[in-house]
Amino acid sequence: MKRLTFLCQSRLFFGLLTGVILPMPSWAEKAAEEKVAAQPSIAKAATTNAEPATCGLPAGQYPYYANTPEEMVPFRTLEPYYRYFTTRLPFRGPGRDYPDPPDLKSLKVGLFGPAPYGPEGARGKQTRLGVLLAFEEENASRRAGQLPFEIVEREDSPLWGSAANIAVDFKDADVLGYLGTIDGDATHVALRVTLKTETYIINTSDPDPTLMETQIPWISRVFPDDRQQCYRLADLIINRRGCKRVAILRESSRPGRVGVMHLVNDIRRLGKPAVAHLLYKPGDRSLAEQLNTIKGANPDALVFYGQPEDIGFAAALFRKSGITAQFFGFDRLKEDGFSKNAGEAAEGTTICYFFNPDRTDKPWVEFQDRFQKRWSEKAGIYAAYGYDGAKLMIEAINKSGPNRYRVRDYLANLDEWDGITGHMIFDGRNDNIAPMSMAQFKQGKWQFQPVPAITRLEKLRAAQP
Amino acid sequence: MKFRKIINPRPLWAATVAACALLMSAGRGVGETTTEGLPFPIIERFENFGHDQGIPAHKVHVVLKTSDSKLWIGTWDGLCVREENGKFKRYGPEDGLTHKMVLCMVEDPKTGDLWIGTMRGLNKFSGGKITRYVQTDSGLPNNVVYGVDVADDKLWVATAAGAGVMDLKTGAWKIYDHTNSNMHEPWCYSIKGAKDVVFIGVWGGGILEHNPQLGTFKAYHDPDGDFHYDLVPDDGPINDITSWIAWKDGVLWQNTYFGMSRYDGKYWKTWVQDKSPLPSNFTQFAWPVGKYCWIGTDRSATVTDGTYWANYMLGDKGESILEIHRPKQAAEKRILPTGICNAFVLGIWADENEAWFATANGLSHGIFSPRPSVPKVAAAK
Repeated sequence: MKRLTFLCQSRLFFGLLTGVILPMPSWAEKAAEEKVAAQPSIAKAATTNAEPATCGLPAGQYPYYANTPEEMVPFRTLEPYYRYFTTRLPFRGPGRDYPDPPDLKSLKVGLFGPAPYGPEGARGKQTRLGVLLAFEEENASRRAGQLPFEIVEREDSPLWGSAANIAVDFKDADVLGYLGTIDGDATHVALRVTLKTETYIINTSDPDPTLMETQIPWISRVFPDDRQQCYRLADLIINRRGCKRVAILRESSRPGRVGVMHLVNDIRRLGKPAVAHLLYKPGDRSLAEQLNTIKGANPDALVFYGQPEDIGFAAALFRKSGITAQFFGFDRLKEDGFSKNAGEAAEGTTICYFFNPDRTDKPWVEFQDRFQKRWSEKAGIYAAYGYDGAKLMIEAINKSGPNRYRVRDYLANLDEWDGITGHMIFDGRNDNIAPMSMAQFKQGKWQFQPVPAITRLEKLRAAQP
Repeated sequence: MKFRKIINPRPLWAATVAACALLMSAGRGVGETTTEGLPFPIIERFENFGHDQGIPAHKVHVVLKTSDSKLWIGTWDGLCVREENGKFKRYGPEDGLTHKMVLCMVEDPKTGDLWIGTMRGLNKFSGGKITRYVQTDSGLPNNVVYGVDVADDKLWVATAAGAGVMDLKTGAWKIYDHTNSNMHEPWCYSIKGAKDVVFIGVWGGGILEHNPQLGTFKAYHDPDGDFHYDLVPDDGPINDITSWIAWKDGVLWQNTYFGMSRYDGKYWKTWVQDKSPLPSNFTQFAWPVGKYCWIGTDRSATVTDGTYWANYMLGDKGESILEIHRPKQAAEKRILPTGICNAFVLGIWADENEAWFATANGLSHGIFSPRPSVPKVAAAK
């Protein structure tokens, strides 16, 4: 890329091309000027607003897009015409100097949850409890004269586009930012509205890899996405377990489509394209056709994506019918619905998961205790990331004041952050690319592996002078 | 016209080369140029409007000059029309508007009715009266109306949950979404009637070309199929996430936050920042006039025919910068006496005589520099 840029900016190159030495094209000259001019301002924004660590790389540079393993980078043997997401997208509009709203009684933050009666209802409830705990704790510790936080809650409905109306509700309620939600469709729809309403989102639970690729500079995500899981699973299945014939069974839905999208590409880039890729309708128990096709493909690895109850049923059926392939899946299979429906077929299943929830470090254990005490239930992963997202929003508002634009600048310039879920690293799209763990179901229990190093970033750091 | 040239050291021979290039450029003779050999007019100064003139909010999302020469703007806080005294009169929810945040507007060329899309529904402004349309009492697909257009007695809307069409004669609605068209997801952000077809800008779905007579849909997608790179230029839409589309005289313009594209019915052309004179990939709006197009980005008002470019930007100290890009020449930079009120440009209305810009911090009026007279012989050629 550097070579290409140099060539394009070279008068000699253009001279050779045109047969006459012409002035450098205006766009190339401008690009060269701006490359130099942009760096100090990015560095300033990164240090004065957010006071972040810089991941050990030059400020404003994010060449480790998604922490994609080098062997899984698309077109790694040639340079595309243009690469995106290697720098953070700025917000160039005004607003940072707008006066604080007069007569504020509270600092409002929105919480956008899934429909309570839908498939994400239970997870959404956990998110809500984690978020509420964070704000309760913060309000309890506010000093005299400090405005309390107020949560404005809205629940999604199954209607397409309801998220858009909810995002407008948040605008009308003058929230300083909002948290949510799980459903990828809803978050996408809300995000587009947010571009108009200029209100920052911290997403705490949507695994959709495409969410952060829309170039809208009004969102951060603390929840590691399905792309990270795809990288880990592809590496495990092909490189470490040596599987050669990978079949995929996933639910016929948008989350299913975008969830395995990268796995399909990753295993292909590792030289082992999927031998079968089958879909099923959520809740469907008639899987004979899928079973026959997958059996006919003779896989040695079978990757599932869907709701845990559905996958548990499929796993039991497939094992019973004689399929001996190793079973793999995504984080949701850790929920009880999978092992309950799968029965003995769950044994040996390997999944990608965020981290070991049985870990014993102080912040995690204390959070678990406080959560249990407040809500009389155990904090799950959605509660934990909800809590972290809320804490981050609180920090941004406390440091920036009641101004949506300054809140945006704080969050959008963050490179690293420590939550109770662990250390977060945000890439050029403000997406948490912290590495994920793996877990295997053995003798009725999930056994977790240590979280690996963030290899690509580490390599880039090491290469720094 | 007095400009202070700040960077223009190009040698005389370069000017000669430029003149030759201009003469040789396909299909364009000297007589067809407008200002300084450029295929579009040049703004020599801006007039700016804000709170002092009655505009109720910083953000102006859309500007429209109607056939009766009235100037309408849609803002963060209401719909406004410019009155004879130069002040803007505001219409808000208290006047019947469905929501104070106005996103888009179009005039029905037959009736002069004004159709207004807001964050909470669609409105018709006719004879001083506002008629409301929301998703619960009409066929409107969703209350967030990003785009609106009128074509062949039909009103088309792009909403957060699909495209909708209302027959203006019968009032009947029809909705197009993922169940009856080839949209991945029914997130529509722009809509434009063209000759016999309607183009729909879809979030993540590229551009759909719909033929209402035949009931067909044709999709235009970025062939790369991924978001974090553009593999080769000029191969189709620059990206599938369409933020705006515009169509004029057989040419389709696509805005995205990854750059912009043009489709002339046969070939695609794409532009990205640093590899073209486009100042930013974050392109928000397009308004074609003939064969050239005004573009609103997050750091400029830009006008181009695809070969020649003019970017109106603001410098670090607020100075008004005009960059003119001609093929194979260094950029010519000028300082204008007054600048656009903000370079975050959200909406544009322009014709051959003037241009208006809706920005994130007020409304700007671009005053064109006088154009040279057109030699008749050259024009005939």
